[in-house]
Amino acid sequence: MRNLELDSKRMKSKKKRRENDVEVEVKNEEKSHERNPGDGKKKRRRETKNNGELVTVSEANSLVEAETVKKMKKKKKQRKEIVAKIAPVEESDQVDDGSARQSGKSMKSKKDKKKNKMKPVVASEGVGMQRKTEKQEEDVYCLSSGDEDCSKGMKKWLTEYNESRPGLRALQQRIDDFIISHEEKLEEEKKEREAQAADGGWTVVVHQRGRKKTTDPESGIAVGSAVPVAKVDDITTKKKRNEIGVDFYRFQKREAHMNEILQLQSKFEEDKKRIQQLRAARKFRPY
Amino acid sequence: MMEELTALDPMTLKVSELLKEVHLQTSSSFTKLVEDTVSAIRESINQIPEGLEVTAKEARGFVRDIGADKAEFKFKRPSYIEVCGSYSINCIARPDTGVDILLRLPKECFNEKDYLNHRYHAKRFLYLCVIKKFLKSSSSISKVEWSTFQNEARKPVLLVYPANNISEAPEFFVRVIPTAKSLFDVSRLDLRRNNIRALNQDGSTLPSPRYNTSILEDMSLEENNEFLRKTFAGWKELGEALILLKVWARQRSSVYVHDCLNGFLLAIILSYLATHEKINKTMRPLQMFRVTLDFIGNSKLWARGLYFHKNVTITKEDRMKNIESFPVFLCDAHSSTNLTYRISKSAFSELQEEAVITLQCLGKFGDGAFEDIFTTNVDFSSKYDHHIRLNLKGSKEVFSSGFCLDDECWRLYEKQVHDLLSQGLGDRTKSVRVIWRNSSSGCSLEKGFSTLDREPLIVGISMSTPEKAFRVVDIGPDAEDRDAVLKFRKFWGEKAELRRFQDGRIAESTVWETKDWTKHLILKRIVEHVLVRHLSLSETNITQIVDQLDFSLLHGGTDPVSFFPNLLGTFEVLERRLRSIEDVPLKISHVQPLDPALRSTSVFPPEPHPLANEKGSGGKLSKLTSSCIQPLEVMIQLEGSGNWPKDDVAIQKTKSAFLLKIGESLQSNWGMRCDATEDEVVVLLSGYAFRLKILHERALALVNSGIANQRAKRVFGADKSLFFESQHASMIKGLLKPYPAYGPVVRLAKRWVASHLFSASLADETVELLVAYLFVKSLPFKTPCSRITGFLRFLRLLADYDWAFSPMVIDMKDDLSPSDKKEIEDNFRLSRKGYAGNMQNISPAMFLATSYDKASEAWTSSSPNSMELKRLIAYARSSANLLTKLICQDESDSLRWECLLRTPFNNYDAVVLLHGDKLPFPRHLLFPSLVNQGRVVARGNASKSFSPFFSSEDLRGRNLQKLKDKLMVDFDPLRLYVTDLKASISCDPSNHKLSFNLPPCSCVLTVFSFFRHLQREFSTVKLWYDALGGDAIGLTWDRSGSKVKLFIFSNKLVVSVFWPFKVVNLFLLLAVPETAAR
Repeated sequence: MRNLELDSKRMKSKKKRRENDVEVEVKNEEKSHERNPGDGKKKRRRETKNNGELVTVSEANSLVEAETVKKMKKKKKQRKEIVAKIAPVEESDQVDDGSARQSGKSMKSKKDKKKNKMKPVVASEGVGMQRKTEKQEEDVYCLSSGDEDCSKGMKKWLTEYNESRPGLRALQQRIDDFIISHEEKLEEEKKEREAQAADGGWTVVVHQRGRKKTTDPESGIAVGSAVPVAKVDDITTKKKRNEIGVDFYRFQKREAHMNEILQLQSKFEEDKKRIQQLRAARKFRPY
Repeated sequence: MMEELTALDPMTLKVSELLKEVHLQTSSSFTKLVEDTVSAIRESINQIPEGLEVTAKEARGFVRDIGADKAEFKFKRPSYIEVCGSYSINCIARPDTGVDILLRLPKECFNEKDYLNHRYHAKRFLYLCVIKKFLKSSSSISKVEWSTFQNEARKPVLLVYPANNISEAPEFFVRVIPTAKSLFDVSRLDLRRNNIRALNQDGSTLPSPRYNTSILEDMSLEENNEFLRKTFAGWKELGEALILLKVWARQRSSVYVHDCLNGFLLAIILSYLATHEKINKTMRPLQMFRVTLDFIGNSKLWARGLYFHKNVTITKEDRMKNIESFPVFLCDAHSSTNLTYRISKSAFSELQEEAVITLQCLGKFGDGAFEDIFTTNVDFSSKYDHHIRLNLKGSKEVFSSGFCLDDECWRLYEKQVHDLLSQGLGDRTKSVRVIWRNSSSGCSLEKGFSTLDREPLIVGISMSTPEKAFRVVDIGPDAEDRDAVLKFRKFWGEKAELRRFQDGRIAESTVWETKDWTKHLILKRIVEHVLVRHLSLSETNITQIVDQLDFSLLHGGTDPVSFFPNLLGTFEVLERRLRSIEDVPLKISHVQPLDPALRSTSVFPPEPHPLANEKGSGGKLSKLTSSCIQPLEVMIQLEGSGNWPKDDVAIQKTKSAFLLKIGESLQSNWGMRCDATEDEVVVLLSGYAFRLKILHERALALVNSGIANQRAKRVFGADKSLFFESQHASMIKGLLKPYPAYGPVVRLAKRWVASHLFSASLADETVELLVAYLFVKSLPFKTPCSRITGFLRFLRLLADYDWAFSPMVIDMKDDLSPSDKKEIEDNFRLSRKGYAGNMQNISPAMFLATSYDKASEAWTSSSPNSMELKRLIAYARSSANLLTKLICQDESDSLRWECLLRTPFNNYDAVVLLHGDKLPFPRHLLFPSLVNQGRVVARGNASKSFSPFFSSEDLRGRNLQKLKDKLMVDFDPLRLYVTDLKASISCDPSNHKLSFNLPPCSCVLTVFSFFRHLQREFSTVKLWYDALGGDAIGLTWDRSGSKVKLFIFSNKLVVSVFWPFKVVNLFLLLAVPETAAR
């Protein structure tokens, strides 16, 4: 029962919030219409309002984050915040009010700190930014040039560039090392396999000719031969064995014929479908 | 049954769909509209009092300019007002929904001798003036305007717009055309008679065939209309064939103009064929269409003149004379009027050529020809290679000898320009087409003709083979031939010079010396010289469309293509050295260039770098010596061996080992610098850097087994792509020789793609293939011979191709067999099968099939995806439209041309601007990007650790070896930045946050702006950038129905930026800019 009541309350608060959002949006839109660069007074007013809005957002933001952590406890707070949220929109002319709320906000964020190390810094950064909103330019967050440490940016790229070029000898050495270890690994694997096979008490006898393999066991294709690109086709045609043609038996011919008819039919169906789609896409309008 | 049979053919299906779309069926509402308007016109005319005195005062300017000596009459109402034209035969084709009515001028208003000296034309106009005055006062008519009959200014017609309108025909009007049935004695208007006294030469009068025919035409209008009505009545297919012909002609603006075809002539030609039983009742519209085109294109009858059966009385001599007076003679069925007297010779050969091309399309592509014939716009701008616009506003030269004599001054001027250019350009051109539309709508003809020169005169030139078109020396007549020399000198003026040629001949000639990379400007220089010399035009009034986009390809004032021969020479040296290497276990058997720069399709082929030489420096080091060098890819193959390892990793390592050995050998034997990393080896030679790659033979096997063997596919990935690259390179190389314009068009296309930040979406090879398609399958055009036309066609191809439903097959040398084509078709179907219902997410969105890649795996398998393609298409379409406008309309502003390559940033959700001076090749940047909307949210300082140019201290140091070591190979901060940024973008559905981890912006100024969609869903972030050296990266959020929501409160958007290095998390709070809120 109690739960139900709570739920409805929550619903209400949510609804309220949404209404509030809409209101803010509308207001701002009005503002954007009346914005006038020549009118200094108005401009200042807008800025202060922006200030207020900034608060709302960061609050709302942390609100959502908190929501995921502790839903029940928050309900009261939420309502409080909603009230606070409505306030800046309505009384946004008063700067004092805004800053008071800001301090409240950072206090809250301190609480959050316990849960997430990252968040407080965020909030304080955010607050820091809000203070700067007198001039829009100061909203801009300054990114470092990355020159002071080598872990990022241009410095990192340059270091990587240089590190990847240790000289021919070193590279050669690396490759040799790799190949050796790789071969060892393969050898080991082979041994393991053999050992396993031996454990099983029997071995698989593989048909092997004395000559070196020239075909890939998987695909049956010639490897390691010095054949220029163009000649590949010849080789494969030579390799073709005399097979019995697919139209040797009468039933094969019949089937092939049937298949052809079926294919034609399906092609026709597809054509029709395609034209339907083209028509839908207005492709027949020449200009 | 019949229905089913006909429906089997997709072409027929498409044609019937087209007819549904275009044919304006006469619904009851439309009929009512026509009837109401006509009756309103009748009513107004009935209000005109009989016997009203009409004098030349009504339109003094017109009467003066036309040169009529007297023009007074007493008004009498017309006895006959009837609907005619396409409406009367139910063949109206959208969007031309005008209806013509004929209005018979009463005989009482004219004297017997009024056929003389333009009196008829003057009275005809005055008569219409009176009617216009009364029509204007009618309440059911919204406006009345002047227009001209087939652009003939001395024969104006009235356009009457009704007050009411219906949605079927939004711009409906009625055209009032006066007729002169039996006004004059036909024998007086014989083609050999002179009826304009002012037309004489040395005292003897000249015949005035055009003037006479102009009157005769009015006299025969009614009968011809009746004839058409009878022929078309009850013959639906014939009418449909006419509509098809109209659509076809309308798409070809160079033949559907005043001096060539019009709807009436098409109808006449059809009925000619019908009466001569070349078209019969059993034919379907498409067959009739084909027969008609065949007749237009190939019939020998045109040379003799066309006559209906009823004209048997005309003697053979007369026929001979007729064909002498006009290039084309089509005698009407009743009198001996030439209905085609406006068709000029050049226009007719153009028409025949178009017809032949269309027949080729039909024969070659079957149902695929539908798009080429009916929906591809073969307009002036895309058809011709070279365009000239003459601004003749207020030029007195044009009508110096009167506006109208036998012909009108504008037509004579057209002819003059045509003849001049044909003579000046000679066999450099295939055809020259000159069109001057005298738009008269909205102007008041009463005041005369001086305002008819407002539109520019447009010339289109089709070039012949490039060797001829860009020839440097034109050899004229032998020095001995005095008359010819005199003529030659007179034509060329100071440009003509006497020269001795290698074969000992001494002849007059003109020489157009120029650098290799400006050869395409020779035509421009000739045209300018000829026109300025002979037409007393100033150069500012001559606009030629040739070099307007060249600015985007220049590097420091010259086109880098000029280094191409040098580069090729260097490559040959490299090849020789590679082949001669002895101290590597396997010999190098094959060397192939892969890089676009080595086939002159790279936008910026590298210039030789002074520090990349083996010994010393190649020339003085300039202040702007680049600190980076771009390597060019070269593929090598080794001789076969059975000792290669079996598994992929080992193969790759072995390859690297070989490359290192090769590099070492080159370094020790030739002193070439070798720059190696674990994955690649670059060697420097004579100012260029080459990146070596080895193709392992086993990859070759993939051609046959790749599809079947999934594992093989995975294992040989690197080799496979290398294989594709090598096949592609040799294929494209084959195009360069036959099509010299191919290179520049590809370069422009690549530049366009990059400058609109599509580098990640469209691979270089894709662009090359698309442009190749334009060249190998040029129908319904001719092969493009100029860069701008080729570029325009590329844009249109991108925008108009039916990507969703058709594979694009690039068949280079016609070497695809039917079974290959079937395989491609099957692959295509397979790729589209899974998306039967939903065409939104097909992959590959662009299906490009070639002889080496029948399943479109090579270049377009992953990008562009449908979303990117959609965007590409939109960009291409708007660019194509702008380019068309720039070519055909008077817009001398050079800024407008830049717009083609300047991308608007309001199509991105965020934009990252880079410090342009930290890019490796700052001079490749077209325009520094400016974002003046949105809001800056983060700004980074430029790193000091990298500069694209060597500092002056370095250069002064004189330690060449040190400098050489400092030269960086293939270092591209943009690419690295994009990689970092891509890696850092994550969207975390659990906390509803879109996060960017902006890579530390050592070279970056970051701007986020334009959050246009307040509540959009996103799943992925897409990066758009210009790999050619652009300084902007655009970001867009994809909204493909994922459940993740962008975190939005009221109108603010929260973006969190993670700072993993400092473990700082910051929220950037963005107010939505007002432009975006809308």
